[in-house]
Amino acid sequence: MRSIWAVATNTIRQALRLKIAAAFIILLLILLPVMGVSVTGDGTLKGRLQTFISYGLSLTSILLCLLTIVVSAYSLTSDIKQRQIYTVITKPIRRFQFLLGKLLGVALLDIALLFLFSIIIYGIAVFMPRFYNATVTELTEVNNEFYTARADLAPPDIDVSKEVEEVYNKLKKAGQLPETMSYNEIIKQLTSVTKLERRAVAPGYILPMLFTGIKPIDPNESLFIRFKYDVAVTPTDSQIIGRWQVGDYRQIRYGEKSDTPIYDATYKHSVRTIHEIEVPASVVPADGRLCVAFTNPPINNTVVFFPIEDGLEVLYKADTFTGNFVRAVLLICFRLVFLASLGILAASFLSFPVAILFCLVIFFTATFSNFVIESFNFLGRNLSSVYSYTVKPVIQLLPQFDKFNPTKFLIPARLLSWILVAKAAAFMVCIKSLLLLLIALLIFSFKEIAKIIV
Amino acid sequence: MDYAIETFSLTKIFSDWWGRDKVIAVDDLNLQIRYNEVFGLLGPNGSGKTTTLKLLLGLLYPTKGRSVILGGDGADPKINARIGFLPEESYLYRYLNARETLDFYGRIFGLPAKVRKMRIESLLDMVGLKAVANRPVGTFSKGMARRIGLAQALINDPDLLILDEPTTGLDPIGTRQIKDLILKLAERGKTILLCSHLLADVEDVCDRIAILYGGRIQAEGKVKDLLLQTDKKQIITSGLSDTAVNRIRQILRDEHAQCEVTSPLDKLETFFIKTVATAQEQAQPTSGAVSTTQIGDFLAAASSKDNILDKLVSATVSKETPMEAPKTRQVIPTEVPEREPDKDLLSKLTKTVEPAQPKPVIQNEKVKTEPVEPKTFEKEHVKKNILDRLTGRFTERDKHREQAEEDKSQTGDAGDA
Repeated sequence: MRSIWAVATNTIRQALRLKIAAAFIILLLILLPVMGVSVTGDGTLKGRLQTFISYGLSLTSILLCLLTIVVSAYSLTSDIKQRQIYTVITKPIRRFQFLLGKLLGVALLDIALLFLFSIIIYGIAVFMPRFYNATVTELTEVNNEFYTARADLAPPDIDVSKEVEEVYNKLKKAGQLPETMSYNEIIKQLTSVTKLERRAVAPGYILPMLFTGIKPIDPNESLFIRFKYDVAVTPTDSQIIGRWQVGDYRQIRYGEKSDTPIYDATYKHSVRTIHEIEVPASVVPADGRLCVAFTNPPINNTVVFFPIEDGLEVLYKADTFTGNFVRAVLLICFRLVFLASLGILAASFLSFPVAILFCLVIFFTATFSNFVIESFNFLGRNLSSVYSYTVKPVIQLLPQFDKFNPTKFLIPARLLSWILVAKAAAFMVCIKSLLLLLIALLIFSFKEIAKIIV
Repeated sequence: MDYAIETFSLTKIFSDWWGRDKVIAVDDLNLQIRYNEVFGLLGPNGSGKTTTLKLLLGLLYPTKGRSVILGGDGADPKINARIGFLPEESYLYRYLNARETLDFYGRIFGLPAKVRKMRIESLLDMVGLKAVANRPVGTFSKGMARRIGLAQALINDPDLLILDEPTTGLDPIGTRQIKDLILKLAERGKTILLCSHLLADVEDVCDRIAILYGGRIQAEGKVKDLLLQTDKKQIITSGLSDTAVNRIRQILRDEHAQCEVTSPLDKLETFFIKTVATAQEQAQPTSGAVSTTQIGDFLAAASSKDNILDKLVSATVSKETPMEAPKTRQVIPTEVPEREPDKDLLSKLTKTVEPAQPKPVIQNEKVKTEPVEPKTFEKEHVKKNILDRLTGRFTERDKHREQAEEDKSQTGDAGDA
């Protein structure tokens, strides 16, 4: 253990004294405050905050990622190339200890820097309202929609497969199936149409939707109904009047008396844009079964429906901004640990420039992993078995940085749950990093250190 | 018999990318190095010396054969803990300063902070780098880097010291100091494997040598045995009158032996050290003054080196005794008779760098002629009885022919002191 620690501290010294880290650190130290002053977003305080947190965290993340790759790859390859490893490895230290020491050093450096920069970002984000003499409305807005961590719930997914089957069979009998489409594609389209039908309200009708498991941390806080209207016929002023009732499901649906109050209000909102209605959290019943009912008054004179993707959600404050921020930083931290292992692995068998290139390719692929995976899935669908046993497992090994992208949660102040953090930890650190490290250990343990490869 | 290092048909073949054999670096090497021996591995460039060391230490894997080092595997941390290794160049972390460098290696050994601190200070003293201990080693000259490299090899007070060309890049004084250090360490029971192509260095310190060529041992044995010209004799005296010389010539003529009488030449090394010492005494202001003061520091440290090494040794004795005890007991009885005469000689030799008495040093050196110019005696055939008649007092020497050389140097000492 002592020897691991000795190697780790030496690695940190190397990174700091050879000024590998210096450029990154200075750049961030200058850019973050400058960004805090200069960002404007859409002009509102919330816009500024969102832009700052998005750019600030992304920049920190990407620079630290690059730094990690460079330091981890350089530290090991330079030891081998400049042969300091001759004097180290002939001391009573096992090779795996040497590698672990390197990894630990890089990880510690990362964690320290990440801690420093996230403190700066957090500080600027929290104190920004004071720099701008924000109005009361703006303050309320950012308190409700930025300095918070809101869990979001979509209405429960309805199983429409039976209906779809019926429609399909009907169409088949009538011979109206489009010939150019495959079975799967037809079913997919029918499903989305049927689902949308379920979220459509004709004039004069009411659409009650059940949300379960809602647990706001404070009943004095607010709930938010986040929705987007879509219409069959656009009204002349592009506005829709809607009556919203929120409360205990049993009372709204079945008229049973409930202890909790019912929120009932009518608003006029423009179509095809996202709106939020603030509802006191006290309407949520003890069992967490909340009903949100939308009534389409006849005056609208059109069918109103809520798009499947982002048509209707309930948002409620589930945690604080600080908690969310800490988890976001953790996600970045996992990323860095993964990249450090990757750098060590690359350095265990490649020279410095090749190792860097290798890591960068993996890094960028991981950043767009969603795109990459989908592309390969698309290309591979015709050679399914070959594909699913060769390329697919390899692709699955890539970390999915975009899936665990922290800014995706911080900008709309969505709750970044511990479950997601745990998932990221499990996939990125426990499985993938460990796997990389094991391969690196294997390669390094059997490697002839003094062998010169030309 | 136990050996500190033993190899069994050790072979290393470097192959190219396609797996074709390209270079046979070490070829069927069988090496036996005893405990408490200074062993020199000689050979021209590319003869496989360094490769052999790397194979021993597990930096390379043998193609065939195996090696046993201190009774175990050279890649085993337990064995590594008892080895000090100085590679062919001092590969150091440029960004660390001298003290941090030693501290880093000390921490790898898991030495407690107190022991580490004490050892680092005494080692810095010993290699004469105390004044520059806070400078990054990247700024060191080659010789300074070499010294720090040697210090890192000694940080764990190793039982076995593997030195790959320890004196390259060092000035003559530094070279001399390293050689003295090697002898001192050998006196303290260390085993030293020395690898060099600087023959003078090897000759001065090694008990046994092996000469490698093409990865094979071409010659192996005790230095004295290999170099002894049994059919020649050398007489070293102090001031001799011309009449005495003439009488000797007469005697030799009677014996039908040819002879040549010359004044012996100083070794250049001795002359160099003498010159620098004189300059130092006069405190001549030169840009080289820095280096001379450094030498002063180091020489001072050399005399207190005993204490330092004693401290080093005593610090680990309690720790390492249980592991080594059986081995040392086995070794001592067999080694003692061989080492005894050497030690006397070596201590005599090392006395020469004692700074406390600079003058005796110089005088000693002048007389210590040894095999100065073997050519001058090329055609000289001296019979033993002539020697006896000449000197009269060395009758018992017949019985100890092997000690001839050593006695020679002793008489030299006595004659001139």
